[in-house]
Amino acid sequence: MKATRTLQIRFFALLREQAGCSDLSVTTEATTPAGLYRELMASHGLTMPPELLTYAVNETYVPGDTPLRDGDRLTFIPPVAGG
Amino acid sequence: MFRLIEEPIDAAALREAMRRPEAGALVVFEGWVRNHHGGRPVTRLEYEAFAEMAVREGEALVEAVERDFPGVAVTCVHRCGDLVPGEVAVWVGAASAHRDDAFRAGRLVIEEVKRRLPIWKKEHHPGEAPVWVNCSEENTPVRRAADYCERQASLPEVGAAGQARLAGANVLIVGLGGLGCPAALYLAGAGVGRLALLDGSRVEYSNLHRQVLFEAGDVGGEKAVRAALALRARNPHITVEPMAADLGPGNVRPLITGRSVVLDCTDNFATRLLLHDACSEAGVPLVQAAVHRWEGVLQVFQPGGGGCLYCTGLAGSPAELEGAGNCAGAPVFGPAVGVLGLLQASEAVKCILERPATERAAAATLLLDLLATSITRIARPRRSDCPYCAAPARPKTARETEPEATLWRSRQELAEAGAHRVLILATRAEREQFGWHRDGRDCFDPTEVGSIRRAVAASPLPVVLACPHGIRSAALARALRADGEPRVYALQGGLADGPLVSPVEP
Repeated sequence: MKATRTLQIRFFALLREQAGCSDLSVTTEATTPAGLYRELMASHGLTMPPELLTYAVNETYVPGDTPLRDGDRLTFIPPVAGG
Repeated sequence: MFRLIEEPIDAAALREAMRRPEAGALVVFEGWVRNHHGGRPVTRLEYEAFAEMAVREGEALVEAVERDFPGVAVTCVHRCGDLVPGEVAVWVGAASAHRDDAFRAGRLVIEEVKRRLPIWKKEHHPGEAPVWVNCSEENTPVRRAADYCERQASLPEVGAAGQARLAGANVLIVGLGGLGCPAALYLAGAGVGRLALLDGSRVEYSNLHRQVLFEAGDVGGEKAVRAALALRARNPHITVEPMAADLGPGNVRPLITGRSVVLDCTDNFATRLLLHDACSEAGVPLVQAAVHRWEGVLQVFQPGGGGCLYCTGLAGSPAELEGAGNCAGAPVFGPAVGVLGLLQASEAVKCILERPATERAAAATLLLDLLATSITRIARPRRSDCPYCAAPARPKTARETEPEATLWRSRQELAEAGAHRVLILATRAEREQFGWHRDGRDCFDPTEVGSIRRAVAASPLPVVLACPHGIRSAALARALRADGEPRVYALQGGLADGPLVSPVEP
Protein backbone atom coordinates (compact mmCIF):
# COMPACT_ATOMS: atom_id res chain seq x y z
CA MET A 1 0.00 0.00 0.00
CA LYS A 2 1.26 3.48 -0.91
CA ALA A 3 1.92 6.00 1.85
CA THR A 4 -0.80 8.57 2.42
CA ARG A 5 -0.83 11.93 4.14
CA THR A 6 -3.59 14.02 5.60
CA LEU A 7 -3.66 17.68 4.61
CA GLN A 8 -5.77 20.69 5.52
CA ILE A 9 -6.81 22.58 2.41
CA ARG A 10 -8.20 26.10 2.16
CA PHE A 11 -9.96 27.35 -0.94
CA PHE A 12 -10.36 30.99 -1.92
CA ALA A 13 -12.24 33.00 -4.54
CA LEU A 14 -13.22 31.07 -7.67
CA LEU A 15 -11.88 27.77 -6.29
CA ARG A 16 -13.89 28.20 -3.08
CA GLU A 17 -17.02 28.69 -5.13
CA GLN A 18 -16.33 25.70 -7.36
CA ALA A 19 -15.34 23.41 -4.48
CA GLY A 20 -18.37 24.55 -2.50
CA CYS A 21 -16.38 24.91 0.72
CA SER A 22 -13.59 26.98 2.29
CA ASP A 23 -11.90 24.21 4.23
CA LEU A 24 -11.30 20.58 3.37
CA SER A 25 -9.36 17.82 5.03
CA VAL A 26 -8.06 15.21 2.57
CA THR A 27 -6.10 12.01 2.94
CA THR A 28 -4.19 11.48 -0.26
CA GLU A 29 -1.42 9.54 -1.98
CA ALA A 30 -0.47 12.69 -3.90
CA THR A 31 3.04 13.80 -2.97
CA THR A 32 3.05 17.39 -4.31
CA PRO A 33 0.64 20.37 -4.40
CA ALA A 34 0.42 20.18 -8.20
CA GLY A 35 -0.32 16.45 -8.05
CA LEU A 36 -3.05 16.94 -5.48
CA TYR A 37 -4.63 19.76 -7.48
CA ARG A 38 -4.96 17.46 -10.49
CA GLU A 39 -6.76 14.93 -8.30
CA LEU A 40 -9.11 17.58 -6.89
CA MET A 41 -9.94 18.95 -10.35
CA ALA A 42 -11.66 15.67 -11.10
CA SER A 43 -13.17 15.02 -7.65
CA HIS A 44 -14.32 18.59 -6.89
CA GLY A 45 -15.10 20.02 -10.31
CA LEU A 46 -12.29 22.63 -10.32
CA THR A 47 -11.88 24.12 -13.78
CA MET A 48 -8.94 26.50 -13.39
CA PRO A 49 -5.99 25.32 -15.52
CA PRO A 50 -3.08 24.31 -13.23
CA GLU A 51 -0.62 26.59 -15.05
CA LEU A 52 -2.50 29.60 -13.67
CA LEU A 53 -2.08 28.51 -10.05
CA THR A 54 0.56 29.07 -7.44
CA TYR A 55 0.77 27.14 -4.20
CA ALA A 56 1.26 27.95 -0.54
CA VAL A 57 2.16 25.41 2.14
CA ASN A 58 1.82 26.63 5.72
CA GLU A 59 1.19 30.17 4.48
CA THR A 60 4.38 30.32 2.37
CA TYR A 61 4.62 30.28 -1.43
CA VAL A 62 6.24 27.05 -2.67
CA PRO A 63 6.89 25.50 -6.11
CA GLY A 64 4.24 23.04 -7.29
CA ASP A 65 6.61 20.09 -7.00
CA THR A 66 7.43 20.61 -3.31
CA PRO A 67 7.08 17.36 -1.32
CA LEU A 68 4.03 17.40 0.96
CA ARG A 69 4.23 16.25 4.58
CA ASP A 70 1.50 14.90 6.81
CA GLY A 71 -0.39 17.74 8.49
CA ASP A 72 0.63 20.46 6.00
CA ARG A 73 -1.77 23.35 5.46
CA LEU A 74 -2.14 23.71 1.70
CA THR A 75 -3.67 26.55 -0.30
CA PHE A 76 -4.18 26.73 -4.06
CA ILE A 77 -3.77 30.36 -5.06
CA PRO A 78 -5.70 31.54 -8.13
CA PRO A 79 -4.26 34.57 -10.00
CA VAL A 80 -4.28 37.37 -7.44
CA ALA A 81 -5.93 40.75 -8.02
CA GLY A 82 -5.12 43.00 -5.08
CA GLY A 83 -4.90 46.76 -5.38
CA MET B 1 3.88 49.19 8.34
CA PHE B 2 1.32 46.94 6.64
CA ARG B 3 -2.38 46.52 7.51
CA LEU B 4 -5.27 44.56 6.04
CA ILE B 5 -8.53 46.17 7.16
CA GLU B 6 -12.30 45.84 6.74
CA GLU B 7 -13.26 49.46 7.52
CA PRO B 8 -12.78 52.40 5.10
CA ILE B 9 -9.22 53.72 4.65
CA ASP B 10 -8.64 57.09 6.32
CA ALA B 11 -6.19 58.55 3.82
CA ALA B 12 -5.75 61.88 5.64
CA ALA B 13 -4.80 60.14 8.90
CA LEU B 14 -2.35 57.83 7.13
CA ARG B 15 -0.75 60.80 5.39
CA GLU B 16 -0.33 62.71 8.67
CA ALA B 17 1.24 59.62 10.25
CA MET B 18 3.94 59.61 7.58
CA ARG B 19 5.35 62.94 8.77
CA ARG B 20 8.93 62.83 10.00
CA PRO B 21 11.48 65.62 10.21
CA GLU B 22 14.13 63.83 8.14
CA ALA B 23 11.80 63.28 5.16
CA GLY B 24 11.97 65.71 2.24
CA ALA B 25 9.44 63.86 0.10
CA LEU B 26 6.27 61.83 0.48
CA VAL B 27 4.91 59.85 -2.45
CA VAL B 28 1.36 58.53 -1.99
CA PHE B 29 -0.44 56.04 -4.19
CA GLU B 30 -4.16 55.40 -3.77
CA GLY B 31 -5.85 52.57 -5.63
CA TRP B 32 -9.52 53.52 -6.21
CA VAL B 33 -12.48 51.39 -7.16
CA ARG B 34 -13.66 52.62 -10.59
CA ASN B 35 -17.09 52.28 -12.12
CA HIS B 36 -16.04 50.44 -15.28
CA HIS B 37 -13.69 47.69 -16.45
CA GLY B 38 -13.12 46.29 -19.92
CA GLY B 39 -15.81 48.57 -21.36
CA ARG B 40 -18.50 47.38 -18.94
CA PRO B 41 -19.98 49.26 -15.98
CA VAL B 42 -18.96 48.05 -12.51
CA THR B 43 -21.31 48.50 -9.55
CA ARG B 44 -19.18 47.02 -6.75
CA LEU B 45 -16.09 44.96 -5.96
CA GLU B 46 -15.85 42.15 -3.43
CA TYR B 47 -12.33 41.78 -2.03
CA GLU B 48 -11.43 38.40 -0.52
CA ALA B 49 -8.09 37.76 1.20
CA PHE B 50 -6.20 34.82 2.63
CA ALA B 51 -5.72 37.07 5.63
CA GLU B 52 -2.97 35.28 7.61
CA MET B 53 -0.80 34.93 4.53
CA ALA B 54 -1.62 38.36 3.06
CA VAL B 55 -0.54 40.05 6.30
CA ARG B 56 2.62 37.97 6.45
CA GLU B 57 3.51 38.69 2.82
CA GLY B 58 2.60 42.37 3.19
CA GLU B 59 4.76 42.82 6.30
CA ALA B 60 7.66 40.98 4.64
CA LEU B 61 7.28 43.16 1.54
CA VAL B 62 7.35 46.46 3.45
CA GLU B 63 10.32 45.27 5.48
CA ALA B 64 12.22 44.22 2.32
CA VAL B 65 11.57 47.52 0.56
CA GLU B 66 12.66 49.51 3.62
CA ARG B 67 15.83 47.41 3.69
CA ASP B 68 16.53 47.87 -0.04
CA PHE B 69 15.87 51.62 0.13
CA PRO B 70 17.64 52.68 3.33
CA GLY B 71 16.06 55.74 4.93
CA VAL B 72 12.66 55.23 3.26
CA ALA B 73 9.61 54.70 5.51
CA VAL B 74 6.75 52.75 3.93
CA THR B 75 3.12 52.33 4.94
CA CYS B 76 0.70 50.11 3.04
CA VAL B 77 -2.94 49.51 3.90
CA HIS B 78 -5.24 47.20 1.93
CA ARG B 79 -9.01 46.93 2.25
CA CYS B 80 -11.05 43.77 2.08
CA GLY B 81 -14.81 43.18 1.93
CA ASP B 82 -17.40 44.99 -0.22
CA LEU B 83 -16.37 48.25 -1.91
CA VAL B 84 -18.23 50.60 -4.22
CA PRO B 85 -16.80 52.93 -6.91
CA GLY B 86 -14.92 55.87 -5.46
CA GLU B 87 -13.64 54.04 -2.40
CA VAL B 88 -9.92 53.60 -1.67
CA ALA B 89 -8.94 49.92 -1.99
CA VAL B 90 -5.24 50.31 -1.25
CA TRP B 91 -3.08 53.10 0.13
CA VAL B 92 0.72 53.24 -0.17
CA GLY B 93 2.93 55.98 1.25
CA ALA B 94 6.71 56.22 0.94
CA ALA B 95 8.53 59.00 2.81
CA SER B 96 12.19 59.67 2.12
CA ALA B 97 14.90 62.30 2.29
CA HIS B 98 14.79 62.60 -1.53
CA ARG B 99 12.01 62.12 -4.06
CA ASP B 100 13.77 59.52 -6.22
CA ASP B 101 13.77 56.84 -3.55
CA ALA B 102 10.23 57.71 -2.45
CA PHE B 103 8.88 57.31 -5.99
CA ARG B 104 10.76 54.09 -6.61
CA ALA B 105 9.97 52.47 -3.26
CA GLY B 106 6.29 53.43 -3.52
CA ARG B 107 6.01 52.07 -7.05
CA LEU B 108 7.70 48.85 -6.02
CA VAL B 109 5.34 48.32 -3.08
CA ILE B 110 2.13 48.62 -5.13
CA GLU B 111 3.50 46.43 -7.93
CA GLU B 112 4.53 43.71 -5.47
CA VAL B 113 1.21 43.97 -3.60
CA LYS B 114 -0.57 43.28 -6.87
CA ARG B 115 1.84 40.51 -7.78
CA ARG B 116 2.07 38.46 -4.62
CA LEU B 117 -0.51 39.26 -1.94
CA PRO B 118 -3.19 36.53 -1.84
CA ILE B 119 -6.08 38.94 -2.39
CA TRP B 120 -8.78 38.45 -5.00
CA LYS B 121 -11.60 40.63 -6.26
CA LYS B 122 -14.94 39.83 -7.77
CA GLU B 123 -16.45 42.37 -10.13
CA HIS B 124 -20.19 42.94 -10.20
CA HIS B 125 -21.69 44.13 -13.47
CA PRO B 126 -25.37 45.18 -13.72
CA GLY B 127 -27.51 42.41 -15.19
CA GLU B 128 -24.59 39.93 -15.52
CA ALA B 129 -22.98 37.23 -13.42
CA PRO B 130 -20.08 38.54 -11.30
CA VAL B 131 -16.54 37.71 -12.45
CA TRP B 132 -13.32 36.93 -10.53
CA VAL B 133 -10.68 39.30 -11.90
CA ASN B 134 -7.63 37.72 -13.60
CA CYS B 135 -9.15 34.25 -13.37
CA SER B 136 -10.58 34.10 -16.87
CA GLU B 137 -9.83 35.68 -20.24
CA GLU B 138 -13.27 37.25 -20.04
CA ASN B 139 -12.17 40.48 -18.37
CA THR B 140 -8.36 40.45 -18.24
CA PRO B 141 -5.81 38.74 -20.48
CA VAL B 142 -4.17 36.00 -18.41
CA ARG B 143 -0.38 36.21 -18.55
CA ARG B 144 1.27 32.80 -18.84
CA ALA B 145 4.99 32.02 -18.85
CA ALA B 146 4.48 30.06 -22.06
CA ASP B 147 3.17 33.18 -23.80
CA TYR B 148 6.07 35.27 -22.51
CA CYS B 149 8.65 33.10 -24.26
CA GLU B 150 6.51 32.06 -27.23
CA ARG B 151 8.63 33.78 -29.89
CA GLN B 152 11.80 32.13 -28.60
CA ALA B 153 10.28 28.70 -27.93
CA SER B 154 9.04 28.59 -31.52
CA LEU B 155 12.67 28.45 -32.72
CA PRO B 156 13.26 24.84 -33.80
CA GLU B 157 16.56 24.86 -31.86
CA VAL B 158 14.70 25.72 -28.64
CA GLY B 159 11.20 24.24 -28.77
CA ALA B 160 8.98 23.48 -25.79
CA ALA B 161 11.54 21.05 -24.37
CA GLY B 162 14.33 23.62 -24.59
CA GLN B 163 12.16 26.27 -23.02
CA ALA B 164 11.36 23.90 -20.14
CA ARG B 165 15.09 23.28 -19.76
CA LEU B 166 15.69 27.04 -19.51
CA ALA B 167 12.88 27.36 -16.94
CA GLY B 168 14.59 24.68 -14.87
CA ALA B 169 18.04 26.28 -15.19
CA ASN B 170 19.88 28.00 -12.37
CA VAL B 171 22.46 30.60 -13.41
CA LEU B 172 24.87 32.62 -11.26
CA ILE B 173 26.00 36.00 -12.57
CA VAL B 174 29.06 37.36 -10.80
CA GLY B 175 29.34 41.11 -11.29
CA LEU B 176 26.41 43.37 -12.23
CA GLY B 177 28.38 45.92 -14.21
CA GLY B 178 28.63 46.64 -17.91
CA LEU B 179 28.76 42.93 -18.77
CA GLY B 180 26.47 41.54 -16.08
CA CYS B 181 23.59 43.97 -16.74
CA PRO B 182 22.95 43.08 -20.39
CA ALA B 183 23.73 39.41 -19.74
CA ALA B 184 21.18 39.27 -16.92
CA LEU B 185 18.60 41.24 -18.89
CA TYR B 186 18.65 38.75 -21.74
CA LEU B 187 18.87 35.65 -19.56
CA ALA B 188 15.74 36.91 -17.77
CA GLY B 189 14.12 37.48 -21.14
CA ALA B 190 15.13 34.00 -22.25
CA GLY B 191 13.17 32.58 -19.33
CA VAL B 192 16.04 31.20 -17.23
CA GLY B 193 14.06 30.06 -14.19
CA ARG B 194 16.47 31.07 -11.47
CA LEU B 195 18.97 33.93 -11.69
CA ALA B 196 21.35 34.53 -8.78
CA LEU B 197 23.03 37.95 -8.84
CA LEU B 198 26.25 38.51 -6.92
CA ASP B 199 27.73 41.98 -6.54
CA GLY B 200 28.79 43.75 -3.37
CA SER B 201 29.11 47.22 -4.88
CA ARG B 202 26.73 50.16 -5.20
CA VAL B 203 25.56 51.99 -8.30
CA GLU B 204 27.67 55.03 -9.21
CA TYR B 205 26.71 57.82 -11.56
CA SER B 206 29.57 56.97 -13.92
CA ASN B 207 28.17 53.40 -14.26
CA LEU B 208 24.96 54.49 -15.93
CA HIS B 209 26.29 54.96 -19.48
CA ARG B 210 26.83 51.21 -19.84
CA GLN B 211 25.13 49.40 -16.94
CA VAL B 212 21.73 49.23 -18.55
CA LEU B 213 19.72 47.84 -15.63
CA PHE B 214 20.19 51.02 -13.60
CA GLU B 215 18.78 54.50 -13.88
CA ALA B 216 19.75 57.76 -12.23
CA GLY B 217 17.49 57.07 -9.25
CA ASP B 218 19.48 53.90 -8.46
CA VAL B 219 22.72 55.75 -7.68
CA GLY B 220 23.86 54.76 -4.20
CA GLY B 221 21.72 51.59 -4.17
CA GLU B 222 23.09 48.07 -4.01
CA LYS B 223 23.67 46.80 -7.54
CA ALA B 224 22.43 43.26 -6.87
CA VAL B 225 19.19 44.53 -5.31
CA ARG B 226 18.48 47.18 -7.95
CA ALA B 227 19.27 44.77 -10.77
CA ALA B 228 16.88 42.20 -9.27
CA LEU B 229 14.07 44.77 -9.24
CA ALA B 230 14.62 45.59 -12.90
CA LEU B 231 14.79 41.91 -13.88
CA ARG B 232 11.62 40.94 -11.99
CA ALA B 233 9.82 43.75 -13.78
CA ARG B 234 11.12 42.43 -17.10
CA ASN B 235 10.04 38.83 -16.53
CA PRO B 236 7.58 38.17 -13.69
CA HIS B 237 7.76 34.40 -14.30
CA ILE B 238 11.30 33.86 -13.00
CA THR B 239 12.99 33.87 -9.60
CA VAL B 240 15.74 36.43 -9.08
CA GLU B 241 17.97 36.17 -6.01
CA PRO B 242 20.10 39.22 -5.27
CA MET B 243 23.21 38.73 -3.12
CA ALA B 244 24.95 41.97 -2.15
CA ALA B 245 28.34 40.37 -1.46
CA ASP B 246 31.74 39.96 -3.07
CA LEU B 247 33.17 36.68 -4.29
CA GLY B 248 36.06 35.33 -2.27
CA PRO B 249 37.87 32.07 -1.52
CA GLY B 250 35.53 31.55 1.46
CA ASN B 251 32.24 31.59 -0.46
CA VAL B 252 33.06 30.63 -4.04
CA ARG B 253 32.34 26.91 -3.70
CA PRO B 254 28.86 27.07 -2.17
CA LEU B 255 27.97 29.89 -4.58
CA ILE B 256 28.75 27.90 -7.74
CA THR B 257 27.45 24.53 -6.52
CA GLY B 258 24.38 23.31 -8.39
CA ARG B 259 24.44 26.05 -11.04
CA SER B 260 23.69 25.20 -14.66
CA VAL B 261 26.16 27.88 -15.81
CA VAL B 262 28.20 30.61 -14.13
CA LEU B 263 28.85 33.97 -15.84
CA ASP B 264 32.02 35.83 -14.98
CA CYS B 265 31.15 39.49 -15.54
CA THR B 266 33.79 40.89 -13.20
CA ASP B 267 36.57 43.34 -13.92
CA ASN B 268 39.51 41.97 -11.96
CA PHE B 269 41.88 39.05 -12.25
CA ALA B 270 41.66 37.88 -8.65
CA THR B 271 37.96 37.05 -9.07
CA ARG B 272 38.47 35.75 -12.59
CA LEU B 273 41.08 33.19 -11.53
CA LEU B 274 39.13 32.21 -8.42
CA LEU B 275 35.96 31.56 -10.43
CA HIS B 276 37.79 29.76 -13.20
CA ASP B 277 39.58 27.43 -10.80
CA ALA B 278 36.47 26.71 -8.71
CA CYS B 279 34.21 26.10 -11.73
CA SER B 280 36.79 23.91 -13.38
CA GLU B 281 37.18 21.81 -10.21
CA ALA B 282 33.41 21.53 -9.75
CA GLY B 283 32.76 20.86 -13.45
CA VAL B 284 30.42 23.86 -13.76
CA PRO B 285 30.40 25.58 -17.17
CA LEU B 286 31.83 29.11 -17.02
CA VAL B 287 31.22 31.88 -19.55
CA GLN B 288 33.84 34.54 -19.09
CA ALA B 289 34.18 37.94 -20.71
CA ALA B 290 36.50 40.89 -20.27
CA VAL B 291 36.55 44.27 -21.94
CA HIS B 292 39.19 46.93 -22.34
CA ARG B 293 38.23 50.19 -24.03
CA TRP B 294 36.90 49.13 -27.48
CA GLU B 295 37.92 45.49 -27.30
CA GLY B 296 36.76 42.37 -25.56
CA VAL B 297 37.50 38.70 -25.04
CA LEU B 298 34.92 35.92 -24.66
CA GLN B 299 35.78 32.44 -23.44
CA VAL B 300 33.58 29.48 -22.50
CA PHE B 301 35.12 26.87 -20.22
CA GLN B 302 33.42 23.59 -19.57
CA PRO B 303 34.36 19.96 -19.02
CA GLY B 304 35.45 18.43 -22.32
CA GLY B 305 35.21 21.83 -24.03
CA GLY B 306 38.77 22.70 -24.97
CA GLY B 307 41.62 24.11 -22.94
CA CYS B 308 41.41 25.83 -19.57
CA LEU B 309 42.55 29.37 -18.88
CA TYR B 310 46.09 28.13 -18.19
CA CYS B 311 46.17 26.10 -21.43
CA THR B 312 46.24 29.54 -23.12
CA GLY B 313 49.56 30.17 -21.43
CA LEU B 314 48.11 32.52 -18.82
CA ALA B 315 50.22 32.57 -15.71
CA GLY B 316 51.20 34.99 -13.00
CA SER B 317 49.61 36.11 -9.77
CA PRO B 318 46.43 38.19 -9.83
CA ALA B 319 48.46 41.22 -8.78
CA GLU B 320 50.84 40.81 -11.73
CA LEU B 321 47.95 40.29 -14.12
CA GLU B 322 46.13 43.28 -12.71
CA GLY B 323 48.94 45.55 -13.82
CA ALA B 324 48.72 44.15 -17.32
CA GLY B 325 45.08 44.63 -18.07
CA ASN B 326 42.72 45.68 -15.31
CA CYS B 327 39.48 47.31 -16.39
CA ALA B 328 38.35 48.89 -13.13
CA GLY B 329 38.24 52.65 -13.59
CA ALA B 330 39.61 52.37 -17.13
CA PRO B 331 37.96 54.03 -20.12
CA VAL B 332 35.34 51.79 -21.71
CA PHE B 333 33.12 51.98 -24.78
CA GLY B 334 29.56 51.22 -23.64
CA PRO B 335 28.52 49.08 -26.60
CA ALA B 336 31.67 46.94 -26.17
CA VAL B 337 30.55 45.67 -22.76
CA GLY B 338 27.00 45.45 -24.13
CA VAL B 339 27.99 43.21 -27.02
CA LEU B 340 30.20 41.02 -24.85
CA GLY B 341 27.52 40.70 -22.15
CA LEU B 342 24.98 39.64 -24.76
CA LEU B 343 27.41 37.10 -26.17
CA GLN B 344 27.72 35.71 -22.64
CA ALA B 345 23.94 35.41 -22.40
CA SER B 346 23.80 33.76 -25.81
CA GLU B 347 26.52 31.23 -24.96
CA ALA B 348 24.92 30.50 -21.58
CA VAL B 349 21.54 29.79 -23.20
CA LYS B 350 23.13 27.46 -25.78
CA CYS B 351 25.04 25.75 -22.99
CA ILE B 352 21.79 25.13 -21.06
CA LEU B 353 20.14 23.88 -24.26
CA GLU B 354 23.15 21.57 -24.74
CA ARG B 355 23.56 22.67 -28.33
CA PRO B 356 26.42 20.90 -30.13
CA ALA B 357 29.95 22.32 -29.74
CA THR B 358 29.96 23.41 -33.41
CA GLU B 359 27.26 25.97 -32.58
CA ARG B 360 29.05 27.40 -29.60
CA ALA B 361 32.16 29.29 -28.66
CA ALA B 362 33.39 26.21 -26.78
CA ALA B 363 37.10 25.44 -27.13
CA ALA B 364 37.76 28.87 -28.62
CA THR B 365 38.70 32.36 -27.55
CA LEU B 366 36.80 35.13 -29.33
CA LEU B 367 38.43 38.52 -29.70
CA LEU B 368 36.13 41.38 -30.55
CA ASP B 369 37.18 44.82 -31.62
CA LEU B 370 34.30 47.26 -31.76
CA LEU B 371 36.49 50.05 -33.16
CA ALA B 372 37.56 47.91 -36.09
CA THR B 373 34.26 45.98 -36.17
CA SER B 374 36.09 42.66 -36.24
CA ILE B 375 35.75 39.28 -34.56
CA THR B 376 38.71 36.90 -34.39
CA ARG B 377 38.28 33.30 -33.30
CA ILE B 378 41.33 31.52 -31.88
CA ALA B 379 41.17 27.79 -31.21
CA ARG B 380 41.83 26.95 -27.56
CA PRO B 381 42.85 23.28 -27.45
CA ARG B 382 43.62 21.42 -24.26
CA ARG B 383 47.40 21.35 -23.83
CA SER B 384 48.84 18.02 -22.79
CA ASP B 385 51.56 19.81 -20.79
CA CYS B 386 49.29 22.37 -19.09
CA PRO B 387 50.45 22.45 -15.48
CA TYR B 388 46.94 23.27 -14.19
CA CYS B 389 45.11 20.54 -16.12
CA ALA B 390 47.73 18.09 -14.85
CA ALA B 391 47.11 19.03 -11.20
CA PRO B 392 43.97 21.15 -10.86
CA ALA B 393 44.14 21.09 -7.09
CA ARG B 394 47.24 23.28 -7.24
CA PRO B 395 46.36 26.22 -9.45
CA LYS B 396 48.79 28.53 -7.70
CA THR B 397 51.73 26.32 -8.61
CA ALA B 398 50.70 26.55 -12.22
CA ARG B 399 50.62 30.29 -12.09
CA GLU B 400 53.94 30.55 -10.40
CA THR B 401 55.79 28.36 -12.91
CA GLU B 402 55.72 30.98 -15.65
CA PRO B 403 54.72 34.45 -14.51
CA GLU B 404 52.40 36.22 -16.91
CA ALA B 405 54.74 39.18 -16.49
CA THR B 406 57.05 37.49 -18.99
CA LEU B 407 54.31 37.72 -21.61
CA TRP B 408 54.49 41.48 -21.55
CA ARG B 409 57.26 43.74 -22.72
CA SER B 410 57.17 47.33 -21.59
CA ARG B 411 58.73 50.01 -23.76
CA GLN B 412 61.51 50.26 -21.18
CA GLU B 413 62.18 46.50 -21.29
CA LEU B 414 62.17 46.53 -25.08
CA ALA B 415 64.81 49.21 -25.09
CA GLU B 416 66.97 47.12 -22.75
CA ALA B 417 66.28 43.68 -24.21
CA GLY B 418 68.15 44.13 -27.46
CA ALA B 419 66.91 43.41 -30.96
CA HIS B 420 63.26 42.46 -31.37
CA ARG B 421 60.96 42.27 -34.31
CA VAL B 422 57.77 44.26 -33.78
CA LEU B 423 54.59 43.15 -35.54
CA ILE B 424 51.74 45.62 -35.47
CA LEU B 425 48.25 44.17 -35.31
CA ALA B 426 45.92 46.85 -36.56
CA THR B 427 43.04 47.20 -38.92
CA ARG B 428 43.39 49.26 -42.05
CA ALA B 429 41.35 52.06 -40.50
CA GLU B 430 43.62 52.14 -37.44
CA ARG B 431 46.78 52.11 -39.54
CA GLU B 432 45.52 55.04 -41.60
CA GLN B 433 44.34 56.91 -38.54
CA PHE B 434 47.57 56.55 -36.62
CA GLY B 435 50.06 56.24 -39.48
CA TRP B 436 51.33 52.84 -38.35
CA HIS B 437 51.55 51.62 -41.94
CA ARG B 438 54.23 54.18 -42.81
CA ASP B 439 58.01 53.73 -42.44
CA GLY B 440 57.79 50.14 -43.69
CA ARG B 441 56.66 48.65 -40.36
CA ASP B 442 55.21 45.15 -40.30
CA CYS B 443 51.48 45.53 -40.09
CA PHE B 444 48.96 42.72 -40.02
CA ASP B 445 45.23 42.77 -39.80
CA PRO B 446 44.41 41.11 -36.44
CA THR B 447 42.21 38.56 -38.20
CA GLU B 448 45.15 37.26 -40.29
CA VAL B 449 46.12 34.76 -37.59
CA GLY B 450 47.78 32.36 -40.08
CA SER B 451 50.05 35.06 -41.57
CA ILE B 452 51.02 36.32 -38.12
CA ARG B 453 51.82 32.78 -37.02
CA ARG B 454 54.08 32.27 -40.07
CA ALA B 455 55.82 35.62 -39.54
CA VAL B 456 56.55 34.71 -35.92
CA ALA B 457 57.84 31.26 -36.87
CA ALA B 458 60.08 32.76 -39.57
CA SER B 459 61.57 35.48 -37.39
CA PRO B 460 65.16 34.91 -36.21
CA LEU B 461 64.55 37.53 -33.49
CA PRO B 462 62.10 37.46 -30.59
CA VAL B 463 58.77 38.95 -31.68
CA VAL B 464 56.75 41.62 -29.91
CA LEU B 465 53.11 41.88 -30.96
CA ALA B 466 51.70 45.39 -30.66
CA CYS B 467 48.06 46.39 -30.97
CA PRO B 468 46.19 49.54 -29.96
CA HIS B 469 45.46 48.53 -26.35
CA GLY B 470 47.34 45.28 -25.74
CA ILE B 471 44.26 43.01 -25.74
CA ARG B 472 44.53 41.36 -29.15
CA SER B 473 48.28 41.15 -28.94
CA ALA B 474 48.25 39.47 -25.51
CA ALA B 475 45.59 36.92 -26.53
CA LEU B 476 47.46 36.08 -29.73
CA ALA B 477 50.79 35.91 -27.96
CA ARG B 478 49.31 33.45 -25.46
CA ALA B 479 47.83 31.35 -28.24
CA LEU B 480 51.15 31.27 -30.10
CA ARG B 481 53.01 30.35 -26.91
CA ALA B 482 50.54 27.55 -26.35
CA ASP B 483 51.45 26.38 -29.85
CA GLY B 484 55.10 26.24 -28.93
CA GLU B 485 56.46 29.71 -29.75
CA PRO B 486 58.15 30.79 -26.50
CA ARG B 487 59.77 33.94 -27.91
CA VAL B 488 56.66 35.94 -28.53
CA TYR B 489 55.62 38.89 -26.36
CA ALA B 490 52.94 41.56 -26.18
CA LEU B 491 53.61 45.28 -25.97
CA GLN B 492 52.44 46.43 -22.56
CA GLY B 493 49.89 49.22 -22.66
CA GLY B 494 49.52 48.87 -26.41
CA LEU B 495 50.35 51.35 -29.16
CA ALA B 496 47.89 53.89 -27.80
CA ASP B 497 50.04 54.27 -24.68
CA GLY B 498 52.70 56.33 -26.47
CA PRO B 499 55.11 56.28 -29.40
CA LEU B 500 57.31 53.27 -30.10
CA VAL B 501 60.92 54.14 -29.37
CA SER B 502 63.08 53.82 -32.44
CA PRO B 503 65.85 51.51 -31.07
CA VAL B 504 63.45 48.60 -30.71
CA GLU B 505 62.11 48.83 -34.20
CA PRO B 506 63.59 46.61 -36.87
